[in-house]
Amino acid sequence: MRLVPWLYLGAAFVFIYLPVAALVLFSFQESNLPVPPFQGPSLRWYADILGDDDVMQALAHSLMVAAGSSAVACVLGFFAAYGLARHVLPGSAFLRGLLIAPLTVSYLIVGLGLLIVIQRAGLGLSLMTAGVGHVVINLPLCFAIIYASMGAQQQNAERAARDLGADEFRVITLVTVPMLAPAIAAAFFLSVTLSWDEFIISFLLTRFDVTLPVEIWSMLRSGLSPRLNAIGSIVFLVSVTAVLILEILVFRKRRP
Amino acid sequence: MTATVSINALSHWFGDFQALSDVSLNIDAGEYVTLLGPSGCGKTTLLSVLGGFIAPTRGDVIIGGRDMTRVPPAQRPTTTMFQDYALFPHMSLRDNVGFGLRMAGRKRKERHRRAGEMLELVGLGDAQTARPHELSGGQRQRVALARALAVRPDVLLLDEPLGALDLKLRRAMQDELKDIQRQVGTTFVHVTHDQEEAMAIADRIVVMNAGRIEDEGTPARIYRAPASLFSADFMGEMNHIPARLSGGQALTPFGDIPADGPEGSRVVVCVRPEALSTTDGPLSTGPSILRDVAFFGTHIRVHLEPEAAPGRILTAHLPPDTKVSQGDTLSLSADLAAVIMFPVEE
Repeated sequence: MRLVPWLYLGAAFVFIYLPVAALVLFSFQESNLPVPPFQGPSLRWYADILGDDDVMQALAHSLMVAAGSSAVACVLGFFAAYGLARHVLPGSAFLRGLLIAPLTVSYLIVGLGLLIVIQRAGLGLSLMTAGVGHVVINLPLCFAIIYASMGAQQQNAERAARDLGADEFRVITLVTVPMLAPAIAAAFFLSVTLSWDEFIISFLLTRFDVTLPVEIWSMLRSGLSPRLNAIGSIVFLVSVTAVLILEILVFRKRRP
Repeated sequence: MTATVSINALSHWFGDFQALSDVSLNIDAGEYVTLLGPSGCGKTTLLSVLGGFIAPTRGDVIIGGRDMTRVPPAQRPTTTMFQDYALFPHMSLRDNVGFGLRMAGRKRKERHRRAGEMLELVGLGDAQTARPHELSGGQRQRVALARALAVRPDVLLLDEPLGALDLKLRRAMQDELKDIQRQVGTTFVHVTHDQEEAMAIADRIVVMNAGRIEDEGTPARIYRAPASLFSADFMGEMNHIPARLSGGQALTPFGDIPADGPEGSRVVVCVRPEALSTTDGPLSTGPSILRDVAFFGTHIRVHLEPEAAPGRILTAHLPPDTKVSQGDTLSLSADLAAVIMFPVEE
């Protein structure tokens, strides 16, 4: 019988998606509590949060931090990968290790470390400092993704471009970056989703202007409400969109 | 459009490994030269030095009368057709071919016109907006050629350009390369390890081994009268017959041949398989047993064991209409003009 594997697969998916499904379902709840029985559907809570300036501002901040920190992480990651893939440097294996190592450090430690440094340096906490934190956690990822896709094919094409008279700037802008575009896009959108969801570093490194996860956390302290479900659903929708864009950009290229 | 190339006393080391040792070579403008040799012989290193991708440890490279030894690839009058084509996958064929002109600051209209002409030259005139991944291996090859020629280089360097193609396509592309070279008049330097390819296209073959030039000359000269045993073996199958000099003669089991050299020294007498025939000649195998016989269309290839030298197997190519079969006894001979001799280093 092939039934058992299918049942197992079904159970696994239920386990993974039931919480998300419940969250989305009860965001359409009519009454004041996101618990069964389900009453609705109603867009009441969506209207509520869309009209809430704090929430909307936090959402805008989150998008800004995610896009900005991901862009910076991609640019830095690209240059680090290009340098290490194209030039023989003393201790390049060690440098590579050093670049990837922050992936293994817990976000809490990264956040605390940055908090101490920023306060010692006398800089104020802001969205900018949270963005810096996100660059720190996303740079290793961007570096690893872009470095892994720098193969002999690009290198040969770069060599051909130089042979045909291109200077280094034009080699990078006309050959390397376009050929690596899928990897760079993958790194960017993955960073966006990670930064978008990130709580601990944002919590530690922001003060007055906060990102959406921090705003949700402060709302949680006043108890459960379908408002939170509605915000959660929007957060989820944004993440899914970023992942879908990533899939389309990366996998469309693969198919000839 | 075309230029002379002169390589003077070039040596190059990769760490402790000497890839080129004291290589000197002069190439005429408009000449088609192939660098032929086994892998690791230094032929690709020499090509990379000509293209500017490797700065040689010693020696210099003069192209068109100008010293190019330390000039980067972008500023050389050379272009390279790479082994794996190295086309730009994100650009159309027209943009690939026009890339060099774009780097030279030419206007879009002029680039497109020239790229169109070049694609026309290589038989891809109606595929200008296609992407490289839509093409077959042979077509990519042609685009790489068009791209390298579009900037009107003085010297085109070809790095095993036909290595990835199947045999039939390779033969067709050889004819095409030679034809295009005649049309554009550019100096071509072509690296290969396939001696048939070298003979099919080159005006001159340069045989390389262990970082040195073993031999250089026209294909016919190198095949018939090679300068070294290595070059004799590399250009095609060769029978080796060991012999000793005595009284101005090389004494072989198959007859004595006039030879110069120190008395008593050892030599190898070489005969090509097709030089052995059933007509009489001064070098004769004597009665020999045919160990195997294979029909090749253009010839019959046989292995024979002469009674005069048991255990020594010789190879011969007989005319295709010869009636022979395994186990027959046959006597084959070679003319002195077809015999070459090399001293054995002791």
